[in-house]
Amino acid sequence: METKWAVDNLQTIRTLMERSALYRRALAPIMILAGIIGIAAGLTGWLCRNESNRGFVCLWLVTAVISLAGALLLMRRQALKDSEPFWSPPTRRVCQALLPAFFVGLVMACLILAFSSGSGGEGLQHLLVILWVLFYGCAVHAAGFFMPRGIRWLGWIFIIVGCALLSSLSLGAQWVDQMQPNLLMGGIFGGLHLAYGIYLHFTEQKTPTA
Amino acid sequence: MNPDLFPQLNRVIHEKGRLAIMSALAAAPELTFTELRDLLDMTDGNLTTHIRTLQQEGFVSVAKSYQNNRPLTSCALTAAGRKAFAQYIDLLDQIVRQSRSK
Repeated sequence: METKWAVDNLQTIRTLMERSALYRRALAPIMILAGIIGIAAGLTGWLCRNESNRGFVCLWLVTAVISLAGALLLMRRQALKDSEPFWSPPTRRVCQALLPAFFVGLVMACLILAFSSGSGGEGLQHLLVILWVLFYGCAVHAAGFFMPRGIRWLGWIFIIVGCALLSSLSLGAQWVDQMQPNLLMGGIFGGLHLAYGIYLHFTEQKTPTA
Repeated sequence: MNPDLFPQLNRVIHEKGRLAIMSALAAAPELTFTELRDLLDMTDGNLTTHIRTLQQEGFVSVAKSYQNNRPLTSCALTAAGRKAFAQYIDLLDQIVRQSRSK
């Protein structure tokens, strides 16, 4: 009887310790970097008249890879600076939470790359932007359960923006159709990340630990 | 089972709510009052009472500051708290190991 009680107590302690280890690396530089890369990619796509479906998907896949690589480098640098392991349990949990929605977004991109014709098709690109925004919002919100609570608000903002765009597109709003998809991507992903990064820069506590 | 082990368990930490607070704080450098409340699903009053008890025992330190012009209360384990928690876990472990070896 006493043994069961002791084992249960130890299990409860372990669960609580695992749940309380929040991901606490400084997010401001990561968000600002992602924002700048996003805006730069949007402007590049627009200026280079990157209008084909495949060109659009390729540009944004490359942008995602560059942003992810930059974020990982910044995280690693912070971990080294704090003499902490890079692949800590909180980092692992955040990545696991992000993965499903990222995977769906990647599959959608691959399907378009494989089956879409190379020419035109801004309607499809607009829909893809909206779906990416929605999935990204869900991913960030899921990761927010293992991070300081503010990040969940960013997830909700992405979800609300995605829903607003989807509603506008469904209702046939002209302004969505007229918006160049690269600029839409750059504006939403780049703009929101940059704005959140600047907000965090001025408000984040300067004691990052994972 | 060695009956002497039970009385050695720290009475302050042994209470369910306070043990939960100590466990949460043991895995993080510090947690805000809100994070602790959400994590442990406690009421403000309950959490405040337990934290005060742990603070009086010298197991938890409480720091008050401001973030975005809002008061921010952060809690962390003190060195004494960390030591007491480690001893508590060690005793629980001993209890389990002793009963399993019989």
